[in-house]
Amino acid sequence: MTVALSKQRRGRSSVPARLKDIAGRWSFMIPATVVLVAVLAYPLLYTLQISFSHFDLSTFSPGSWVGLENYTKALGNASFQNSLVVTGVYLVLALPLQIVLGFAIAFLLNAEWRGRGVFRALFLIPMVVAPVVSGGIWKMLLDPLWGVLGWLGSLVGLPPVNWFGSPATAMISVVMIDTWRSVPFVVLIASAALLALPKDVFEAAQVDGANWWQTLWRVSLPMLAPIIAATFIVRWLGAVKMFDIILTTTNGGPGKATEVVNLYIYQQAFQMLRFSESSAMAVIVLVLTTILTLVFLWGSKKLEDRV
Amino acid sequence: MTATAERPTTRPVRPAEPAPTRRRRHSGHRWRIWSGVIVCILFLLPLVWMVITSFKLQRDIFTVPPTIFFDPTLSQYVAAWVNQGLGPKMLNTVIVALGAGLVSLVAGAMAGYALARLRIRGAATIGVLILASRGVPPIALAVPMFLVARTLGITDTHATLILAYCSFVIPYVMWLMRGFFLSLPKELEESAMLDGCSRMGAFFRIIVPISAPGLISTFIFSIILAWEELLFALVLTNRRATTVPVAIAGMVGDTEHGANWGALAAAGTLTVIPVVVLALVVQKWLIRGLADGATKG
Repeated sequence: MTVALSKQRRGRSSVPARLKDIAGRWSFMIPATVVLVAVLAYPLLYTLQISFSHFDLSTFSPGSWVGLENYTKALGNASFQNSLVVTGVYLVLALPLQIVLGFAIAFLLNAEWRGRGVFRALFLIPMVVAPVVSGGIWKMLLDPLWGVLGWLGSLVGLPPVNWFGSPATAMISVVMIDTWRSVPFVVLIASAALLALPKDVFEAAQVDGANWWQTLWRVSLPMLAPIIAATFIVRWLGAVKMFDIILTTTNGGPGKATEVVNLYIYQQAFQMLRFSESSAMAVIVLVLTTILTLVFLWGSKKLEDRV
Repeated sequence: MTATAERPTTRPVRPAEPAPTRRRRHSGHRWRIWSGVIVCILFLLPLVWMVITSFKLQRDIFTVPPTIFFDPTLSQYVAAWVNQGLGPKMLNTVIVALGAGLVSLVAGAMAGYALARLRIRGAATIGVLILASRGVPPIALAVPMFLVARTLGITDTHATLILAYCSFVIPYVMWLMRGFFLSLPKELEESAMLDGCSRMGAFFRIIVPISAPGLISTFIFSIILAWEELLFALVLTNRRATTVPVAIAGMVGDTEHGANWGALAAAGTLTVIPVVVLALVVQKWLIRGLADGATKG
């Protein structure tokens, strides 16, 4: 303890002064810590407690300890398994699409001309549209009877598509809506990253006679890799929370085709009042998300060290 | 036009001068600009369509092909505001977003400063915890929050929702402000402390005033986050403190083949306008904040 303290800057001062100094530093953390303990740590611990007990609906509190029963029930629950798969499919479709599209659009928008600033600012707009509103907009646009997209399709001879009617098209619609809302975020980060790339490397590549494709794969992508990874992680953390858009557009349907895990747990908790099982499911999702996030963070660190 | 664009290539370039940017314009350049503009317009069209729909009468909304020329009307706004009771919900949303933004800004900025400057033991661990907290599924918080709030009898109040929103806004603010404070020169508070200021005094008298742009943009960012939140509002409110996203979710929910489109478009437009204005006002900071939040891990 004393060794650690003496390493600090004011190592020679008296013990009370040092304690006061430490207290002074930590006092900055107090407000955030108090609030986050109340609204983040405590609720999580409470979820954990409920997940290991039988929730008593008459007293509205967790009752007897049941061990892992809720977890075994949750893991054996076909609908829960389905919701995990649906979430996985959605993530695998949406994330790469959004990252690639975002960087491609950023490349286009970064062309130097007078209007660049305006168009980049306009790109901010879809990003701040509330997910519920974007769900509403797209539900109108995709409506098979009155939707504008259906009419546009009919102009080029496409038959009307009931977008939210079949499992495949419903998933595509959800991915599309989420992409519309999320790509601008990737674009903004990507265009800042592209601007920060050192120009001389590209000039050197040009001098060496590298073509566009070679420049992209050998120069741009390796230099952008850490930022692509970081953007991926931020998008991942947003996308695993997918709830609003699906609730407003498909509500998990048709059948259970777009029932992502958050929606399923929400229904189990607040419509079926199965608080114990839904808590166990939430804990499972939390553990899965944390593990994957750590894997991604580790991967991006590797990328950063390599470059 | 083309003459001015090509002139620099013929101009002799002095070695000390940085290469003129115009020189790098080539055939692909114009193609890039145009496709960029088109993509941008495509992304904005859905919103434009919503705004147009919000000014239409019911009979102009349900037409094939869609009506482009029509007599604009405010009747959908009246319908949304009066029939759907959007007014009080809008007020609730404003109160909750401002409240959550303010609490988070104070708590988050102080903590962010501590992480950036005060050599707190375990600062790195706290940083990882902040990032990890962003991976917590909101549903894992919504269930216990609902149960606790119900037991305490504090559901359906602004304060409860404000606190609930702090669970995800504070980590954001901590992270953004940490990055901002790291970019400030260290001499600032050191000189203040030599003049006899305490750490807290130096923070509030020196750091906060010069950080105003960063604080304001972070505040606006927090407001936007709270403004569009649905799950907690859905779970923790039912009448008095209901927010606009809940109302809109309900309106979209019973929108089979367009029953409510006009009112939905009007409500959507009203919800979007304030945040779009805010976002455009602070766009430079927003972009920087976002990029920092994503990259400076």
